[in-house]
Amino acid sequence: MNRRHFLKYSSLISTVGALPQIAFGAGKNQRQNKVLVLVELKGGNDGFNSLVPYDDPLYYDYRGALALPKRNLIQLEKGRGLAPSLKAIAPLWNAGEMAWIEGVGYPQGILSHFRSLNIWETASNANQVLHNGWLSKVLPQYKKGLHGIALNTGEIRLGPLDSTNLNSVTMRNPYSFLKQSQYIADIPLSRQTSAIKHLTDKQHQLHDLGRQIEERMGKTASGSPYASRFTKGKLAHSLTSVTDMILSGVDAPVYKVTQSGFDTHANQLDAQNNALFQLAHGLNTFATIMKQNNRWNDVLVVTYSEFGRRVKVNKSGGTDHGTASAQMVLGGNVRGGIYGKHPNFNNLDANENVHHTTDFRSVYGSIAQQWWRQSNPWKPYGTLPFLK
Amino acid sequence: MSVLGFSEARHLVSRTGFSTEWNEVNRASKLSSDQVINSLLQQNNRRTPAVPTLSSWARTKGLANNPARRKMVKRTARQEGQRLQTWWIKHLLTTRTPFLEHMTLFWHNHFPSSISKTKQAHFLYQQNTLFRQQALGNFGVLLRAVAKDPAMLLYLDGYSNTKEKPNENFSHEILELFTLGRGHYTQSDIQNAARAFTGWTINSQGKFTMDTTQHDTGVKTFLGQKGRFNGDDIINILLKHPRTAETIAEKMWLEFINTTQPNKSTIKQWAGVFRNSNYSIKQLLRAVLTSKAFWSQHNRGALIKSPIHLAVGTLRTLPYKLPRQGIEHHLNILGQGVFQHPSVNGWAGGKNWITTQSILLRASLLNNISGARLNPYGDIARQLPKASGERLQQWLLATKPLNSIDLTQEKQRLVHQLILDPAYQVY
Repeated sequence: MNRRHFLKYSSLISTVGALPQIAFGAGKNQRQNKVLVLVELKGGNDGFNSLVPYDDPLYYDYRGALALPKRNLIQLEKGRGLAPSLKAIAPLWNAGEMAWIEGVGYPQGILSHFRSLNIWETASNANQVLHNGWLSKVLPQYKKGLHGIALNTGEIRLGPLDSTNLNSVTMRNPYSFLKQSQYIADIPLSRQTSAIKHLTDKQHQLHDLGRQIEERMGKTASGSPYASRFTKGKLAHSLTSVTDMILSGVDAPVYKVTQSGFDTHANQLDAQNNALFQLAHGLNTFATIMKQNNRWNDVLVVTYSEFGRRVKVNKSGGTDHGTASAQMVLGGNVRGGIYGKHPNFNNLDANENVHHTTDFRSVYGSIAQQWWRQSNPWKPYGTLPFLK
Repeated sequence: MSVLGFSEARHLVSRTGFSTEWNEVNRASKLSSDQVINSLLQQNNRRTPAVPTLSSWARTKGLANNPARRKMVKRTARQEGQRLQTWWIKHLLTTRTPFLEHMTLFWHNHFPSSISKTKQAHFLYQQNTLFRQQALGNFGVLLRAVAKDPAMLLYLDGYSNTKEKPNENFSHEILELFTLGRGHYTQSDIQNAARAFTGWTINSQGKFTMDTTQHDTGVKTFLGQKGRFNGDDIINILLKHPRTAETIAEKMWLEFINTTQPNKSTIKQWAGVFRNSNYSIKQLLRAVLTSKAFWSQHNRGALIKSPIHLAVGTLRTLPYKLPRQGIEHHLNILGQGVFQHPSVNGWAGGKNWITTQSILLRASLLNNISGARLNPYGDIARQLPKASGERLQQWLLATKPLNSIDLTQEKQRLVHQLILDPAYQVY
């Protein structure tokens, strides 16, 4: 777009006059600096081929050609090994900064991508449709102002940050966001219809965040000083943006990024290797930069996926939609180790899927209670001691 | 019978088509609502712009079976998918039967089949023709045709649903999305329906065929009934289920009334009309367009424009030139590329169109279209309706503007400000 024209546009729409400074200043509380980075593994990641249960003989029976041989694994503890494609983040295990939670899922696992993702995002039961992201039960009490930023790579979704009581935004990266948002004027909030209320709320949030990024990152920022440290790819690009925003003091308590490529119905070995490789490299670079800037203790990285994969390999060298999977947790305040419980391969459900052993809401509850020190909206599911 | 007048005519035209064409609004304003609704329901134009050249099924299969040329399938699909987008967008921009196209788009989103998965643009063109044929026709006929439609057989894997390896994808979605909705069937219903549909596939000429050697002839239990069902039997059972009409009625509410959840008694009533008329889409739409909810002042400005409504609507309403590169790219970025649904759920629509990111993109799109570079000063003003500032505002916005706008200023500038006002995003 023509810049001169944009300026003309900006002069047109700022006829509202002075811009109210609501919500923005209120979020500047230095003590509330605990950041959660959610990494969505899109498509349903195969937990059994990420954190490999090599001491379970049934793993080798069921997985056949897909099974990862024990000699290639990075040995952790309790009969578990890391897939070789995750090698880049193995040093974090040795430093005691990596935890895994096994068998995470929910009762009556749903096998539809969209629906199961929705359950994960809203912390609902299988037979219940909720409309607000799970973070809406924690963040409004934790802090005012900005609640989260979802870095997107095309698809515009807020996921766990989607809620009318959350001040959350989605963007491709802060630089293009800044370029565009400085021409968006604030407008008066209106509740005339639900549609108009939504529209004016969103435009208001947009305006606030534009101001914040401009203030923290500078008007002239045009590219990341860390870009060259990351490898190529969409996740790396998103993590570069997260790095920039955390280190320049943007006060979002949540960032959400996505690695896709996990819907491995066919030729899984290549496809999952590639996706996990990008994940490991991206996260390791991110952790290294956070450590160098003394922020690693303030950061918690948690992966999640709509479901895991079926135990048995299918006829196309892949695995079909499953239920429980393993979640990875990283951070300077993480208590390294393996939590949850490996599902029983001897006891499968009617679809030949495992029964979950650990409810995903116990992970959310742990984050609410032990990371942000808020009351736990999912008390009945208990907590896990993966945080120091 | 009383005539509609400007603002009621504007409401009806904007909700049924994509925009508020000045001539249409003024023509409708002098008629009664029944007269306008009758003529809308009679829209029956099958003529579209010249169809681009698209590869045959035989060619695609030939390429797919040749390992050295397999990559070409993807490339060809991408190119032909783009051509098909340009073709339909051109039609949306120029058609004189916008309500028919609106409903064609509605079915396109109810029964998605994206080019990325099907990789067969010619099938998508055929499917689009089917949607246009039945847009105001019969839902039962449409549902049966979609179940045998080659693009759908590819999109939801019906094509490879065989008795040895039943594939549940289509049965899952026909239950969850196309008819009953979640909560009204079990996993076992899905599995039994999948068995009933086994053998429904595509022959070498690219036509639907029933491969009896791949059909599971056994007894199935589906929604409490038992029999040696085939796919047609499953559809019959679904059409007898009250939820099917309700699902469509709920979608009509979101399409024509308000982004909020539908009122239950209205849905029951519309669903009753739909079932009693043996799934006449016209009868259902008549019930919708004559309902109290449709005309209620509370529901004005209660819908959010989809990217197509926004872009196509603006270009149909105002004398702006079409950008040289077209608007397909913008629509793709805004998440409403035609023949390019993000998933089988189609476009979520409603409030989902407005995110912090899309606000920026939508403003930039409108700016692009209305910008002075494309539309030299003076040209536009001459072509705008000769009407007062108040009337222009009433014409372009469904509700009062959110910014304060000087209605006495020069017209081209005034119109530019009106369409950049957030109130222009709703209708």
